[in-house]
Amino acid sequence: MDGAFLRAHGVSKRFSGHVAAERLSFEVRRGEVFALLGPNGAGKTTTVRMLVGIIRPDEGRIEVLAEGAARDRLRPDRTGYLPEDRGLYQEIPILRSLVYFGRLRGLDGREAGRRACGWLERMSLLDRKNDRLDALSKGNQQRVQFIGALLHRPALAILDEPFSGLDPLSQEFFLDLVRDLRNAGTTILLSSHQMDLVERVADRVLLLNHGREVLSGSIGELHGRLDGRPRLRVTLERAADAGVLRADDDVEDVAGDGPDLRVTLRAGARTPQFLARLVTRVPLTAIGTDAPRLHDVFIRAVRDDEARIAGRTS
Amino acid sequence: MSYARDVYILAQWEFGRFVKWKDQLISLALFLLVSGVWAGAALVAGASGRTVTIALAGIELHAPADGRFQFVPAARDDRQGTGALRRGDVQGALSRRADGAFELLVTKDPRYRSELAVLLDEVVRRERLEASGVSPQTLQRILAPVAVDVRFTNPVRERQGRSEKIAAGVCIGVMLIAVFIALANLLTGITGEKQLRVTESVVSAISPQAWIDGKVCGITATALVSVGNLIVGMAIIAAAAQFASGFAWPAAALRPGVILTLVVYTVLGLLLWNAFFAAVAATVSDVYTSSRSSLLFLPLVPVVLSIAVLRDPDAPVARILALFPLTSSPALPMRLVLSDPGLVEVGCSLALLLGAVWVMCLMAGRIFELGILMYGKEPTLPEMIRWATDRQGR
Repeated sequence: MDGAFLRAHGVSKRFSGHVAAERLSFEVRRGEVFALLGPNGAGKTTTVRMLVGIIRPDEGRIEVLAEGAARDRLRPDRTGYLPEDRGLYQEIPILRSLVYFGRLRGLDGREAGRRACGWLERMSLLDRKNDRLDALSKGNQQRVQFIGALLHRPALAILDEPFSGLDPLSQEFFLDLVRDLRNAGTTILLSSHQMDLVERVADRVLLLNHGREVLSGSIGELHGRLDGRPRLRVTLERAADAGVLRADDDVEDVAGDGPDLRVTLRAGARTPQFLARLVTRVPLTAIGTDAPRLHDVFIRAVRDDEARIAGRTS
Repeated sequence: MSYARDVYILAQWEFGRFVKWKDQLISLALFLLVSGVWAGAALVAGASGRTVTIALAGIELHAPADGRFQFVPAARDDRQGTGALRRGDVQGALSRRADGAFELLVTKDPRYRSELAVLLDEVVRRERLEASGVSPQTLQRILAPVAVDVRFTNPVRERQGRSEKIAAGVCIGVMLIAVFIALANLLTGITGEKQLRVTESVVSAISPQAWIDGKVCGITATALVSVGNLIVGMAIIAAAAQFASGFAWPAAALRPGVILTLVVYTVLGLLLWNAFFAAVAATVSDVYTSSRSSLLFLPLVPVVLSIAVLRDPDAPVARILALFPLTSSPALPMRLVLSDPGLVEVGCSLALLLGAVWVMCLMAGRIFELGILMYGKEPTLPEMIRWATDRQGR
C-alpha cells in the first residue's frame, strides 16, 4: 500500500432538506480494502454515488490521485462499480450483456468476450453464457453482476453492499474474491452494513451514522476502542437466567437471545471475580473470552454519538 | 473514452436489442404474399372474365372495339337465349320489350351491368337521333367528344392529383408510424432499464448525455429500419395495385429531391420526438401507472395539423407548419410533394429543425441526468424545467 488513490474533502449531500452525507473526509489508499460501514440510511450509497460521479456533492470535493495528476472524477475504464440497486438485462444472453458492459468500460468487443468467458469459467457458468440472465438463480445472477463490474480489470473496484442477499456459501465465495482482487493489486472500496463480514476483509473502515463519520481507522485500531472492557461468551443452562446477568453491577451489556450470550463488562471490572460470582448464582454450560467485534465498536460509537447530539440539542 | 465512442456503443446496443431481422423479413414476406395474392387474383379475373358474351334475342347490337362485350345472336330454336345461358355459353341474354326497354336475363348478378347500360344508352340515343332525320355527318359532329384541356395558372398545382395526395398522406403516415415504433422502444429502453436497475451501472461508465444521445440515435435507427421495411412493403403493394387496378405512381413523390427531403426530415423528426420522449421516459418509473401516459399521444397533434397542408398546401397555415420544428417533419415533405416551397423555406425549416433537435437532446440529457435515479416519485413539470435549465446539476 503506497499513497492515496482518492481523497474526499468535506463532501456533503442533502436531498430535500435531509442530510445524506455531512462533511465527510477520508482517503482510500492504493491496494487496500476500504469499507464504508453503517446501518441502512447511514449515507453509504450516497457517498459511493458521489465517488463514482453519479451525483455531485453539494459541498466539498473528491480528488482522484491514482493517475499521477489529480482529477475530480474517476476514470470509467479504471473503475469498476457494483451498485446496490444492481441489475442486468434480464432478457438478453449473459455473454452479450457482459461484452456490452466491458465495451462501455473501454474494452474492445473481442477482448471483452474473451475476458467474460474467462470469468464465467471461474464462476462455473461458462456453459450458461448464452442463457438469458433470468434463467439463472439469484446467486448466479449476482456472480454475473460481479463479472460486469470487474471485467475490465479496474484499478479501483467500488462495491456497494456486495454481500447483501447472498447465502453463506456465496458470501464466502465473494469474500475470497475480494481477497483475491486485493492480492492482485486492486484497490477496493466497499460499503456494507454486514460488519462481521467486512471485518474479515477490510484493512480500514469508516463508520457512518446519519450521514456523519462516527469512527474511522484500521480494524485493529477500532478493536482497540473496546480495550478496558472485557468480553465473555456465556452459555446458560436456562435462558431465563439472563436477567441475573443483566442485574450484575459489573455487566455493561448483554447481547443475544436464548442461552448463548455475549457479555461486556464495564471498564475496570475484574473478570476472575465476576466469573467466581457468576458460577455461584447461575448454572452454566460453557464460558469463554470473546474476541472484540466491529459490531460492538459500532454500537458503542453510535450510542456515544447520539448521546452527544442529544446533549447538544437539550 | 470519447463521447462519440460511447454514443456509438449505446446506439449499437439499442439497435441490436430492438431490431429483430427475422421479424423484419417475416413482415416483408407477408407484404409479398398479400401483393402476390392480389395480383394473382387480378390475373385470374382478367383471364376468365374480361370479355362478357351476351346472346341477343331479336335485336342487333355492335360490340365495342375494346373487347369487353361479345354479342352473339340467339339460335333459332332458342329465341330467348335461355338454353345458351343455361349451358354457360353466354353470361346473359338480352332482349327488348315492346315499350323499347331492354331485358337482361342472367343466372347471377351481372357486374358488367353499368358498362352495358352505358352501351345501350348510346344505342338508344343514336336510334332517336336517326329517327329525327339528322344526317350521318351531322350526327357524327353532334356525337364527337368535346376536348377539355386543363391548364394551371401555377404549374405546381398540376401535382395535386389523387396519387400525389396519397403520396403526401404516406409522408404523414410514415412519420407517425416511425414515431410510435420508436416510442414503444424508448419506453422499454429507458423506463424498463430503470425498472431493471441497469441505469446506475451504465451512467457510472459514461456521461448521462452520451447515454441519452446513444439511446435516441439507436432507437431512431431502429424505427428507420422498421419504416424502411414498411416502405418497401408498401412499394410492393403499390406495384401489385398498378398491375391489378392500374394505380399510377405519383411522379411528384418520386423525384430524388423529394425522396432525399423525406428521408432527412423523417430522421430529424424522429430524433426530435425521441429526445422529447426520452426526457419524459427518464422521469417515469412505470409507464402503465404514470400520469404522463397522456403525453404519448402528443405526436398525433402535428399529424392532425398537417391535414391542413393536404387541403391547401399553399395556405399560410401550411407554410407555418412546414417551418415549426414539431410539425415540419411531416408538413414540409408534404408541401414538397404538393407544391413548391422554395429553397429559402426548406433551408429555414431545416435549420430550425436541426436547432430544435440539438436543444431537445441537451434538455433531455439534463433531465435524464437528474431524473434517472429517481424511483417511485415522478418529478413535477416545474422541477423538470428547473433540471433542464439548472447549471449546477445533480
